[in-house]
Amino acid sequence: MKKYILTSTLLSSLLLADTLDSDLEDILNMQSELSAEVGSRSGSVGTSSSIVPTDVITHEQIKHSGYTNLSDALRYFVSGYNSPKTSIADGSDHIRIFTLRGMSPDQVLVLVNGKRIHTSALLNVNATIGRGSSGVDLDTIPLVAVEKIEILRDGAAAQYGSDAISGVVNIILKGYGFDSEASLHTGIRDKKDGERVSASAFVSLPQRYDGYTNLTIEASQQQKTQRARKGAYLYPSHAGLPKAKDLKLLLNNETNLENDASIYSNIIFNYRDSEASAFFRPADHNPATTLLYPDGFLPMINAKINDASFTLGIKDKTSSGLNWDLSNTLGYNEIRYYLTNSMNYGYGATSPRSFNLGVLRFLQNSTNLDLKQSFGLFELAGGVEFRYENYEIKSGDEASYTNGISQGFAGYHPDNAQDKSRKNYALYLDALYKPSSDFTLDIATRYEHYNDFGSTLNAKLALGYKASQNLLLRASASTGFRAPSLAQSYYSQTSTFGGLVEGTFRVDDEISRALGSKDLKAEKSRHFTIGAIYSPTSKTSLSIDYFHTKVNDRIMLSNEIGGAGATPAQNAILLAHGVDKARFFTNAVDTHTQGVDLKLTHKEEFANSSSLDSTIWYNYSKNEVISFNNPTQNRANSFEQVDRMEHGQPKEALRILNSYNIDKTTITLNVSRYGKYAQVIEGKQYDFNSKWLCDVDISYAFSKSLDLFVGAHNLFDTYPNEWSGVINNNYGSTGVKPYSRYSPFGYSGAYYYASLAYRF
Amino acid sequence: MFARVLIVLFVLFTSLNAYQSEKEIQAQVIGKISKFITWQDETKETFVITILKNQFGSAFDDTYKDAKIKGKKVVINYIQDPSQIKECNVLIIPALSSSELKLILEKAKEAKALTISDQKGFAEKSGIVQISFVAQKVKLKINLDSAKDANLQINSSLLQIAEVIKGS
Repeated sequence: MKKYILTSTLLSSLLLADTLDSDLEDILNMQSELSAEVGSRSGSVGTSSSIVPTDVITHEQIKHSGYTNLSDALRYFVSGYNSPKTSIADGSDHIRIFTLRGMSPDQVLVLVNGKRIHTSALLNVNATIGRGSSGVDLDTIPLVAVEKIEILRDGAAAQYGSDAISGVVNIILKGYGFDSEASLHTGIRDKKDGERVSASAFVSLPQRYDGYTNLTIEASQQQKTQRARKGAYLYPSHAGLPKAKDLKLLLNNETNLENDASIYSNIIFNYRDSEASAFFRPADHNPATTLLYPDGFLPMINAKINDASFTLGIKDKTSSGLNWDLSNTLGYNEIRYYLTNSMNYGYGATSPRSFNLGVLRFLQNSTNLDLKQSFGLFELAGGVEFRYENYEIKSGDEASYTNGISQGFAGYHPDNAQDKSRKNYALYLDALYKPSSDFTLDIATRYEHYNDFGSTLNAKLALGYKASQNLLLRASASTGFRAPSLAQSYYSQTSTFGGLVEGTFRVDDEISRALGSKDLKAEKSRHFTIGAIYSPTSKTSLSIDYFHTKVNDRIMLSNEIGGAGATPAQNAILLAHGVDKARFFTNAVDTHTQGVDLKLTHKEEFANSSSLDSTIWYNYSKNEVISFNNPTQNRANSFEQVDRMEHGQPKEALRILNSYNIDKTTITLNVSRYGKYAQVIEGKQYDFNSKWLCDVDISYAFSKSLDLFVGAHNLFDTYPNEWSGVINNNYGSTGVKPYSRYSPFGYSGAYYYASLAYRF
Repeated sequence: MFARVLIVLFVLFTSLNAYQSEKEIQAQVIGKISKFITWQDETKETFVITILKNQFGSAFDDTYKDAKIKGKKVVINYIQDPSQIKECNVLIIPALSSSELKLILEKAKEAKALTISDQKGFAEKSGIVQISFVAQKVKLKINLDSAKDANLQINSSLLQIAEVIKGS
């Protein structure tokens, strides 16, 4: 045995000596370990030495994925991340949600440079993944401006506040020292549709003391894809990607002053004009249909979305070593809905064909003071946060909600119009104790008070123990919460049919109260994770982490209460209020989420100066509804709703990423497996098989400045399974929509692209 | 036989360092760039690296335990107070306030030391070599006037791969 130890020591020494004797340029080409700031208040921590599970996706990796949208890029890299592309689901067609570990889109917190970013004003109210939630629109951020994306796979509401239940995504914008870059991208689907063109420019202007002013502009145009059948109709509806134009602007600035203080700011702006359709209205849809459309019509829903955020902050360190950071982040999202090629049957031949449907707005302003100081073996951090939120609904054209509704999307009625605000403040403390190089303990607590639902106190404990030079054992336990969004509390969209009202009602609406609604309270969570990272060599790392999250009082949009599915007492209440059917938000269910992440990374450098980077990442996430609040009230416990939470998203995901570089050529091959999922239609569960997808990207560097990329996403043109059996005109083997809207990789088939990038 | 191979592989794997952190890379880079720098007095038997308020853990000890710089044994001095700065080849300086930095750079000049830091703006504030990381890769910024003030000669091949600034 001694002989083997001597041998290994000798080899280690040789390798060390080799490192020291290598050329200067080789040293400068060495890459440091990926590190992330998210999950710790003590600065950047290497992913292989982090006591909580973190992942980092770099700009360089994203560049070789061929993706131009953040939501797609994360799907490409991150196992357990889901971002379906739905269609014929009103607003949900235009703003993609994303989830971690099969949980809800609003149970993940998104930060930009460590600051909370606002969610979209969109509340998903159709039968899609994420029904009843509002999420952050990741696609507002131009990818060329991103340095890296940090993902914390751990509950962290005790550190960051509301929403950090399934994890935290921290988007780090490029800072000092990055090359300026201009790029062009174009691509098309295998079925000769879905053309995409985008152009972007990133310009970095250095300032004194490593300050910078970075400007980014990106413009893109996405043509629709069409995978719908005609079904029983003369014309098909639209199923596939929407037609969309995007303009993205980003300014990221840091000015470092002579006296060491640093003033930083960023402005992110996105304008999107997106168009998708509702279901086709055949000529016999209504006696009035043929008055304007003899062959029927396909209503087109148009969303014009403005999204902006502005962060301004100043940070410094006092002579006693206290780091302080004062900042303000203002975020705003506005969705203006329009409808064309439609009509309101109630208006007959005089009906408009186009409608202004109304506006949704969400504004969020966060002011933060963060403090941090080291005291020997302790690093203490603390801070305060004040947040103001405002949610608005503006009504649409009168013709979109009177005498019936505008077909395809009912306009917002003046009764739905809202302008609601709330405030909250938070205090947090975070202590990191490192008594030795092998042991790390992190304790965090956060008190938060909202002026609508009250207060919450949460805590987190994380432990890391380096059992050997190569093995880190880690565990964390935390409580968390998610505040009900203003949209969940105040959204309503109601229409009148035959003198009776139906739709989504506010929680505090008279009819909701009569049916038993109560003011929404925060979702409460408990989370623990236990795992290990084994790094046998400088080139290999293997991590395994088990996680368990229990969420109490998850907020959901209830079923439609009324008609045959309702109790006689409920129908009597509805009738007494002149309502036909009603739904409202409610703290409906308790859920369990548990599973495992297994991740292996390896880098191999070969004698011919080529290198291979490989990652295999497997995720298993099982979601279960374990109890219902007041199940007899038929609120949210229908088979469809429960099934969507438990089986609507894949339980399993696998990513096998390989990037081989030789000289001027880099070949990137990603093989993904999306696990099976299910969707319920008319009370029956339909299963969809797991699928393998393959993405390939080949890049060639013509010079130090110019790169060409060609590649294919979904190279083998894989589609999800179609529905099995006949269901109705819209779904099933003969229906308009061949595929489930839950498909985790969409249903637009292969995409072939080419890109040019020029650095200057 | 198979078991022996496994044992050798296991011992080999477990004896190597894990992924290199920025601190570990900085420790290595400092040794490497020293080869491209000429000090006024190179007759001493040892190469002395002084680290003020150590932020590197054991990275320097681990790197230079059995290694040499310019053919000399490497001595690592850890100090807490600027008053402890004595003649050395390299002085590693942590992030400090501008006023503290100014005082320390004056002392470093007396110590005829190559000053190195990863502090933002270090080179522009009269430090000699600034090491920073951009997208996980090392970037060097060298203040040539400060090097001249310390009677240090920097090889042109090092300057070629660094951003060179003059003055303060």
